Amino acid sequence: MKFFPGCMIHNRYPGIEKSLYYVFDNLEIEISPLKGSSCCPAPSITKSVSQDLWLEIGKRNIQLAKNDTIMTACNGCFTTLFEVSEKIGTGDVRHVAEFLYFDVGTEKIRRSITKRLPLKLAVHYGCHFFRPGEYKKFTSPERPKILDELVEAIGSQSVDYRYKMMCCGGGGGVRAGATEVSQELLEIKLDAMSNEEIDAIVVVCPLCLNQFDNGQKELENSRNRSYGIPTVHYIQLLAVAMGMEPELTGIQWHSISSTDLIEKLVKGEMAEE
Amino acid sequence: MDDEVGAVINKCIQCGTCIGSCFSGRVTALNTRRILMEHLAKGVPIENHDALWFCVTCYACQERCPRGIPVTEIILKARNELARRKGLPGRLKNAFSYLEKHSALVPGKDRNLEMRKELGLPVYHSQFDDEARKEVSEIVKRHLKEVIR
Ligand code: SF4
Ligand code: SF4
Repeated sequence: MKFFPGCMIHNRYPGIEKSLYYVFDNLEIEISPLKGSSCCPAPSITKSVSQDLWLEIGKRNIQLAKNDTIMTACNGCFTTLFEVSEKIGTGDVRHVAEFLYFDVGTEKIRRSITKRLPLKLAVHYGCHFFRPGEYKKFTSPERPKILDELVEAIGSQSVDYRYKMMCCGGGGGVRAGATEVSQELLEIKLDAMSNEEIDAIVVVCPLCLNQFDNGQKELENSRNRSYGIPTVHYIQLLAVAMGMEPELTGIQWHSISSTDLIEKLVKGEMAEE
Repeated sequence: MDDEVGAVINKCIQCGTCIGSCFSGRVTALNTRRILMEHLAKGVPIENHDALWFCVTCYACQERCPRGIPVTEIILKARNELARRKGLPGRLKNAFSYLEKHSALVPGKDRNLEMRKELGLPVYHSQFDDEARKEVSEIVKRHLKEVIR
């Protein structure tokens, strides 16, 4: 398999990549970097200016893999490469969360971890994990359960909250193009999350991660709203549950962290045999 | 908008399911039902609405529309024209010059490379590979020459 990092993981959240390699190594699945791959390019932003540009760069990235499976850990990269592969009829593109769920299975994950993580988590799928569903038919976008079950497999609890299926406000170029709107939406989402008792927000996309994490910092400055809720990518949690040092996930570089979360990650609970 | 899209929009029954699903529409002037209505009733071009930039492309409207109207795709397409006319809004302005120059919408800086090094990860994004970067730059130039100022 080839790992496709995209800009956000390669250039902002390398800890996601480190975690993914650790997990795949642990599961004895061979994976290596897709060298020379570029920006996917980001689906909504690029389609907003040119569908043909989106298609051609996407195609170049797919062809680099020479028919090997392409693994992504970003909803944007997944959307672009998956859609383009359907359009051009070549390329096997996966998102690590659905791959873990369908091909590895929660039972195997349960057996592979060395410590359980007793965390209360607000699950956020991100719109483009399952939409547009014309191509991604693997789960119901109205009532998905993949990530909730993956979270339970590592001993954490998925806490229900209002607006669970709402966008983080980071998509569609809104974060960069209409920052005010993006912050307004983020605030609604965080208000709903902070009504529950949670240790962290868990996502499967570095763009959602960036929006929740750096977005909270921005809300502190622009709207005087402070939540202090850390955000993590699921693969970072899984790697820790499998025994990786929390430091190697890079969470110490996220804008919002909590000693409480780090402590729980370091300690964990003994996994049952 | 081309004829094909026009024919699809004609199927709209103005039920409002789209805007009822739209979180962005709750806090902004974006109103998909009304945009389609004005188009159908008065021929107002979809791309006349700056509010199209408030769409987060969550696809909820499109996938719930009982008439199968690809609302989000229509918005993205209309944005092409909007961008051609008025340029891109906010910080999106720089996005495609980054893509052309670095082959990355989010370019890496020294600090980011240090993080990779600290984790023992290789640097292999096309941004840091002259040949690959040039290849991507060429594609961007070819398509965006007359699209974006
Ligand atoms: S949901 Fe579909 S049919 Fe109903 S108003 Fe919106 S576009 Fe028209
Ligand atoms: S895709 Fe855009 S217009 Fe449709 S519901 Fe989402 S934000 Fe609203």
